[in-house]
Formats: sequence, C-alpha cells, structure tokens
Amino acid sequence: MQSFIDEFTRNFIVDNRYQYITVGFVNTLIISFFAVLVGIVVGFLVAIIRSGHDRTGHMKIANFICQVYLTVMRGTPTMLQVLITYYVIFASANVSKIFVAVVAFGLNSGAYVAEIVRSGIMSVDEGQFEAGRSLGLNYRQTMQFIIVPQAFKNVLPALGNEFIVLLKETSISGYIGLTDLTHGGDIIRGITFSAFMPLIAVALIYLLLVTGLSWCVNRLERRLRVSER
Amino acid sequence: MSGKVLLETIDLKKDFGGNQVLKGISTQICQGEVVAIIGPSGCGKSTFLRSLNLLETPTSGSVIFEGKEITAPKTDVNKIRQKIGMVFQQFNLFANLSIKDNITLAPVKLGLMSVEEAGKRAAELLERVGLPDKAESYPSMLSGGQKQRIAIARALAMNPDVMLFDEPTSALDPEMVGEVLELMKELARDGMTMVVVTHEMGFAREVASRVMFINEGVICEENNPKEFFENPRNQRLQDFLSKVL
Repeated sequence: MQSFIDEFTRNFIVDNRYQYITVGFVNTLIISFFAVLVGIVVGFLVAIIRSGHDRTGHMKIANFICQVYLTVMRGTPTMLQVLITYYVIFASANVSKIFVAVVAFGLNSGAYVAEIVRSGIMSVDEGQFEAGRSLGLNYRQTMQFIIVPQAFKNVLPALGNEFIVLLKETSISGYIGLTDLTHGGDIIRGITFSAFMPLIAVALIYLLLVTGLSWCVNRLERRLRVSER
Repeated sequence: MSGKVLLETIDLKKDFGGNQVLKGISTQICQGEVVAIIGPSGCGKSTFLRSLNLLETPTSGSVIFEGKEITAPKTDVNKIRQKIGMVFQQFNLFANLSIKDNITLAPVKLGLMSVEEAGKRAAELLERVGLPDKAESYPSMLSGGQKQRIAIARALAMNPDVMLFDEPTSALDPEMVGEVLELMKELARDGMTMVVVTHEMGFAREVASRVMFINEGVICEENNPKEFFENPRNQRLQDFLSKVL
C-alpha cells in the first residue's frame, strides 16, 4: 500500500505533474467536441448532397466533390491526415495546434458521418418522401421536416459509435506536439520512468469519457423513440 | 358530367426502361365527378393516377389541371400539388410526427395557415373522420383503418380541388375497409372530385359516377357504373368482371 502511495505521489503530485493530465484532458475534450460539431455539419451536408443527387440526378459537380472528399478521407490513415494538415496545409500559417486538430479530426469524421447519415436517409421509406411531395412541400422541406428527422433517429446508434471512435482517435494528437490526454500521460511516463500509473490513469479517464458519451447517446435515443410507443 | 373540366390528360405515355406501362391515355375529369379506375394488377392504373400529380413524370403527353398544362417545363409543380390531394395504399403518415402535426405540417410550412388556424382545422378534420381523441397520438399507435382516415384528413387540410386515392383499402384488414369506404362515400356526397384506383367493386358501383377499365396501358372501356357492370362490351372487361364479381 505504501509503495502505491509513493508511486502515486511521484507520478502525479510531485512538481504538480497531474497538470499534464488535466491540461491534456481539457484539450482532448475541446478537440473532440468541436471535431464532432464539424463532423456533424460536414457529414449531414455531404449526405444530403449525395442522396439528393441519387434521387434527382441534380448537383453533379457537388456530388463529384463529395465523392473525392469521401475517397481521400476514408482512403488515407487519420494520423497522416493530421500530419499533413499541420505540416503541409497550415505549415506557413500561424494557427494553434488545437485548431489544426479540430479541422483534421472534424473533416475525417465528417466522411464517416456522411455515409452513416446517407444510409439513414436511404432507410426511410420512399412513401414518406412521396407523401411530403404530394402535399406540395418542396424537396428541401420534405427532407428537413420528414426525412432527416427519421434518418437521424435511425442512425443515432451508429453516430454514437462514430463519436466514440473520434474521441479515442484524438489520442494521436501527440504526433503534432499537442498535449492531449494520451500525450500528457506519456510525458509523465517520460519524466518518472514509470509506465503503469500514468498510462492506466489515462486509460481510466478515456473509459469514463466514453461511458458518459454512450449514456448521453442512449438517453437521446430513448427520448426520440416516443413516436414508436 | 355537366361540371367544368378539372383534370385532363392528352395521350399520356409512360415508359419504365423500355417497358411501356401507359400507352396513350386521354380523358377528362370534371368537377364533382367520382371516377373509379379498375383493372388487373400491372395494367398501369396506379401509374396513371400518380402521373396526375406528377409523382411519376410522363414520358410524353400532357396533364392539364384547371386549365394549366402542368407537364409544361416551367410549371411550379409544388404549387399544383397543393390543390391535388393524394391518399396512398400504405397510408404514408409521417412517422416522426404526431397526428396533429401530420395534418398541420403542410398548411403551416407552406404559409397557407397560421399555427392556430391549422390547429383548429386539424381538430375539425379529426372530428370529421371520427378520431377526435387521436391528435397527440403517433401513427405507430393507430390501426390501419385509423391511419388511412388520418391520411385522408391530412390531404383534406390542404383544401384540395381533387383527391387521388391509390388503392386506399388494399392494405387494410377486411374489418377496417368499411370505415375508410364510408368516409370516402361522405366525401363524394359532399361533392369532392375524386379519382380512385380500387379493387372494391361495390364502392365503384355504388359511389362512382364513372368507372374506367384500364388494361395494358390503355382505357379499354369507361361508362356509368350501371352500364359498366351490367353491359360490359369489351371482351377483356367481361373476363375481368367474371373473375372479380
């Protein structure tokens, strides 16, 4: 027991080393939160353009751009995308690393969200669309008030999954020298040369975060299911 | 058939990938008429009905509604559809909305009524279709017959000039067919112009002012119900009636 306390003190208390973890924790939260937002916005936009193209044959150029985006984002490793965003795209611009991470992870996640949402839109019965149009609603109104709300409910579990993946994927932020949760723990390991304490602590924090996130998604799912009672 | 012509089709044709479903249909539907369309499955009767509000885009020919050619390239189809109500075989109530919102969505979002007006209208319509206590329910909680009555109320909320019914009772349990047909009869009595694709010969005989037999993409015969059912002239219609009556 005494050795555990010693270890704990050496890793977290001495020189306020716990701050590596807290700073990293906050950064991980900020990056994940804004990346999720970017991912949702980009993902829904791409999904709506793509399914609109599939249904009507319009928006050929926009659809082509979306397809290139999906191919690039899903066809290259996330880590490489983060490195390229930082060292190539924003190389000469003086922007914060957090911003770079939000852009890189957000755009990456957007590609996956787009396909999830598109599958949701396609899963809504064609009759719902026809009923909307038969009342005189235009394409956008029908999507906005009828199709997308149903699609969103259908894909919520898959979206929750994607956000969990995103949260954990931010752990590669250390590669651009950003102190996220994982990197923070690893810095402590580098100082104290003890691996167990900081790495397990970091793992537990991720576990808590993911558990909390799943709980929120589950609650939302239950609330949206009122129309199925 | 003394009323003015409300809907007219001229040589309407529709291909589905080389398969010609409608082979040139020309007809007129006058105000106040109740036209029942019958025919074997796959004959094109649903496609014809869906062409009337351009849910299917005809390959050639034209549809004229209230004097305007709605198949013309620059037509605002959404505006036209506000005046053409449609009721589907599968009801197609909006699953994410309450019954009240199903009815009020289009009038409110299209700027035809305020939320309060639409709410009042919805209450009236629910009363009319006999389901005044279902306003806050969701479609999944209703029986098929109730869903179809709500679907009719939803279409009526737009104050349409004509209502299209695409086999409105074909997806219903037998004991629920009656309640929907009864409501449709009331609509007909109130003077609503209706085009009804149906397998309910009793309804066609009793309610329709004209019965139309479509086979292989053309109108084979049309007549008033008495003549149509008692003196069918077309051979194919005679065969068809002998099987379904």
